[in-house]
Amino acid sequence: MTSIQVITKDNRTYYSDVLDEYFHLRHKVFVEERGWHDLRRPDGREMDAYDNDHATYLIALDKGRVIGGLRLYPTLLPHMISEAFPHLVKERGALTGATILECTRYFIVKERRTGRADCRLLAAFQQFCLEEGITEVTAVVEMWWLPRWHQAGFKVRPLGMPTLVEGQPCIAAAIRIFEESLERVSRLASLRGSFLSRDPRVSSDRDRVPHVAA
Amino acid sequence: MSGRSLDQSTEAFDFIQELDRLATSDEIVDAMERSFARFGFENFIVTGLPHPDQRIETLVLLKKWPLDWYRRYTHNGYDRHDPVIRLCRQTVQPFEWDEAPYNPETNPKGAAIMHGAAEFGMKQGYCLPIHGLNGFEACLSMSGPQLDLTPQTKPALHLMAIYAFERARQILAPSPQPNPLTAREKETLRWAALGKSAADTGEILGVTERTITAHIGSACQKLSAANKTHAVARALQHRLIEI
Repeated sequence: MTSIQVITKDNRTYYSDVLDEYFHLRHKVFVEERGWHDLRRPDGREMDAYDNDHATYLIALDKGRVIGGLRLYPTLLPHMISEAFPHLVKERGALTGATILECTRYFIVKERRTGRADCRLLAAFQQFCLEEGITEVTAVVEMWWLPRWHQAGFKVRPLGMPTLVEGQPCIAAAIRIFEESLERVSRLASLRGSFLSRDPRVSSDRDRVPHVAA
Repeated sequence: MSGRSLDQSTEAFDFIQELDRLATSDEIVDAMERSFARFGFENFIVTGLPHPDQRIETLVLLKKWPLDWYRRYTHNGYDRHDPVIRLCRQTVQPFEWDEAPYNPETNPKGAAIMHGAAEFGMKQGYCLPIHGLNGFEACLSMSGPQLDLTPQTKPALHLMAIYAFERARQILAPSPQPNPLTAREKETLRWAALGKSAADTGEILGVTERTITAHIGSACQKLSAANKTHAVARALQHRLIEI
């Protein structure tokens, strides 16, 4: 049974093994499978400037093994869209705010892509953001993700036109966080109850989001 | 050039906003007709891709196709041989029809289908494959005698097609079917999936074998299954039971 673990700076020391496996899998998925060779690292752990104390990870675990995950990052800080992809946003300039996060490095390991792992992670993502009072989450994704989000009941608005990134048509988009999306994705995969696992030692994300850009 | 591409992004964003206000399939067809005509498109179809035991006409959500061509296409089961449909199943990227390969020797009908379409004015085309969650497959395929497909127009069309598809799906596709099986039927099928006979299952659940047989019969009926094995296979395939 897959559960989704929330990991932040407050509890990451308790999950160092999980995070280590997660960074190795990121390397496997994004560098070796997808061919994003700029991210290649000699130690086989894919990490970047946003893997810092401001990041929140939702990590899908099955029988103790990492099978997927995503990273959330405050948009009030310099983030991937503002720094690397501002040209993907129509109005020039990223969508930012205290209740807006950016989602990056979403993946499910290859052998679990035909099952319900995607739905579980997407449901956990909506649930976590609802609980944190998040209103929207921005992301740069390959275009073929849009119909999948749509089918999951996500409300997604494009922030700009599709643009080639690493040879693939990608788009900057904003996902609205709302209850109905959580219900839809849960129903789609016949998911019952919550499988989002949070530690009492993790403070609310909102407390950690700075209210001015650093 | 930048003025032109600005037009295209405005066109795409306006179209996406307009879709939200549309409530019927006729309105979507009208809006698509208007907006896609600016790129040279005259015909389009929005359809799910059939499994081997499905007919394509049961999966078509929207269409603006010459009626005679649609009849010929569905009557002859062209979707089994259509190079565009075949490529759809293999790629997540949109493509032009002439990028869909067919080998005249292994797929002689492929050429006939493409030529037939051209006779109805559907000479060039652009197709957006959809690969959703849980194995859902569909496409939006559109065509015309002369298309304006350039590196500038394609991104706009790609985006517009994704949102047109989504609006059509929202309005027309049945929402995920609720599980038709009762709790007892599911339980019975789960035990069957684990190799238990009706007698075994009866003993486990504390009811008679006859009751179990009745549950299985009713599950077979709901799943249009020929027998218990078929019902178990269907229930697993459609994720109605888990083991």
